[in-house]
Amino acid sequence: MTGLRLIQTIALNTVRDAVRSRVLYVLLFFSLVMIASSVTLAAFSYVERERIIQDIALSSIRFFGAAIAIFVGVGLIHREVERRTIYTILSKPVSRAQFLVGKYVGLVATLWMQLAIMAVGYFVICHFNGAQLDHRDAIAVGLIAVELSVVVAFATLFSSFATPFLAASYSIGLYMVGHLTRDLRSMGENSESELIGTLTLWLERLLPDLSAFNRVMEAIHDLPIPPVEAGAALLHGIGWTVAFLSIAAWTFERRDFR
Amino acid sequence: MTPEAIVRVKGLVKDFRPGLGRRKTRVLHGIDFEVREGEIFGFIGPNGAGKTTTLKVLMGLIHATAGEAEVLGHPVRDTAYRAHIGYAPESPYFYDFLTGREILDFYARLTAVPNASRAARVAEVLEQVGLTHAADTRLRTYSKGMLQRVGIAQAVVHDPSVVFLDEPMSGLDPVGRKEIRDLIVALNQAGKTIMMNTHILSDVEMICDRVAIIVEGRIAYQGAIDGFDEAGDKIFDVTLASLAPDFVEEAATRFGAEPTGRGDRVTFSVAEKHVGELVESALRRGGQVLEVLGRRADLETLFLSAVNDRPESDTRTEEGAA
Ligand SMILES: Nc1ncnc2c1ncn2[C@@H]1O[C@H](COP(=O)(O)OP(=O)(O)O)[C@@H](O)[C@H]1O
Ligand SMILES: [Mg+2]
Repeated sequence: MTGLRLIQTIALNTVRDAVRSRVLYVLLFFSLVMIASSVTLAAFSYVERERIIQDIALSSIRFFGAAIAIFVGVGLIHREVERRTIYTILSKPVSRAQFLVGKYVGLVATLWMQLAIMAVGYFVICHFNGAQLDHRDAIAVGLIAVELSVVVAFATLFSSFATPFLAASYSIGLYMVGHLTRDLRSMGENSESELIGTLTLWLERLLPDLSAFNRVMEAIHDLPIPPVEAGAALLHGIGWTVAFLSIAAWTFERRDFR
Repeated sequence: MTPEAIVRVKGLVKDFRPGLGRRKTRVLHGIDFEVREGEIFGFIGPNGAGKTTTLKVLMGLIHATAGEAEVLGHPVRDTAYRAHIGYAPESPYFYDFLTGREILDFYARLTAVPNASRAARVAEVLEQVGLTHAADTRLRTYSKGMLQRVGIAQAVVHDPSVVFLDEPMSGLDPVGRKEIRDLIVALNQAGKTIMMNTHILSDVEMICDRVAIIVEGRIAYQGAIDGFDEAGDKIFDVTLASLAPDFVEEAATRFGAEPTGRGDRVTFSVAEKHVGELVESALRRGGQVLEVLGRRADLETLFLSAVNDRPESDTRTEEGAA
């Protein structure tokens, strides 16, 4: 059987696990409630009501999407090793890298389904509040999808060698720093100190720039999103996903399961 | 005909590092053994001897520190050959959100059981391990014994030529043990080579052809558990009754067998080639044949002596004990 079929089998099984487990519904329900209540609060505002609603809704989707990605992602591999479900799978003609990628693809597919549900909620809210919807909103949601795939990739990486608690700490740290790299870089460029300049340059080179996936502002203020920038963000996302998964596969390959 | 080696382990060493900076402990001290084609091989030893560790090295779950391990002629780091092996871990645990049928379908997909025959194959294996009645219930509700059966079922669903079983009878009641034992024998008769880890000697004695005894990470004994005489013939214990007194003496000199017995029953230990002759002449003289049994080595004695005089640095390996 080809590697792709193996990965597909493991991915589909991961989705099935998610669809049958209660945790995901709880998280999704919780996110929807949070989005709805933030929007309700915003509805009391008199100035720029539609924009504030849009802003809060989209930002909530980004935030909860990432939170669920980290929450589920950090247990993804660890749970399989801990419960020893991985033993029988790896005794089949399945390489560790294939297993890892299969789990990853399954979780990303699950999260994208959730994102789709949240996006539908967003569109409904916009529609009933008279907010403008156009292709920018779609691009903004699309880039959230790309960001989620990067977040799951590093959560998977950490989950391939660390306990869920540590993996969650690393992931949250990387998520926050990833959103700051661009700001840190511009701070470094304007800094007098050469050291800070070099440091922030390397930080930018070595860490993903997650703010590249944030187009919420453009979506709500109907500002142009240059296709080149959107395309660059997509490539950035794919590149970092491949990088994180490669490191994950490399470390995973060396582990003992005992 | 020399049976081919299906599993070949040479100088296998495994160190575990309990934690960063802590001293490493050596769990396997350079072990050697072979599993031959078509046999049921018992890998036995007390708890903590290193049986599971060895099996995990063979399954590629743990990487050896030094030494060689090959299965079907492939180094254990390869993955493709695993289409031809099956593995049932000790106290297995599976995705419990799936039903018995679904989990076997999943494993069948991973091992490339053809789409057209997959459903039928899964049903067949479920029947074989006696889980048909629970096929469509989620594994969450399965008992330990049922999970043990799922473990064996997933190990054979793709019809592998070698099956590795880690403590396959642990946690089962006597009826369950017998059923699993019969299943193992049936798999072997269907042509599969079997390597089985266990610390329970009676299971081994009943079904294994050869054993290796591992004690504290060293092989203390390796060989057949059938009994052999000096000429290398397999020995049988033939138990007879209602014999004429002169027959006992006559047979004893003719077959060179010291008769032992109580009351009317007499047991002769004779080489395989003499069994037919002995039985025939006894019947002709009006005797009864109660039992003809291939003699097995006294595994308990073997095991206890292996455990008691622990090999210190060298690894003793013997072939064919009497
Ligand atoms: N994860 C581990 N870390 C350190 N030592 C281990 C680990 N797993 C097993 N051991 C040690 O390795 C030895 C062999 O264990 P194992 O192979 O499970 O024995 P068996 O299967 O024969 O009962 C034991 O002494 C055990 O303490
Ligand atoms: Mg064990």
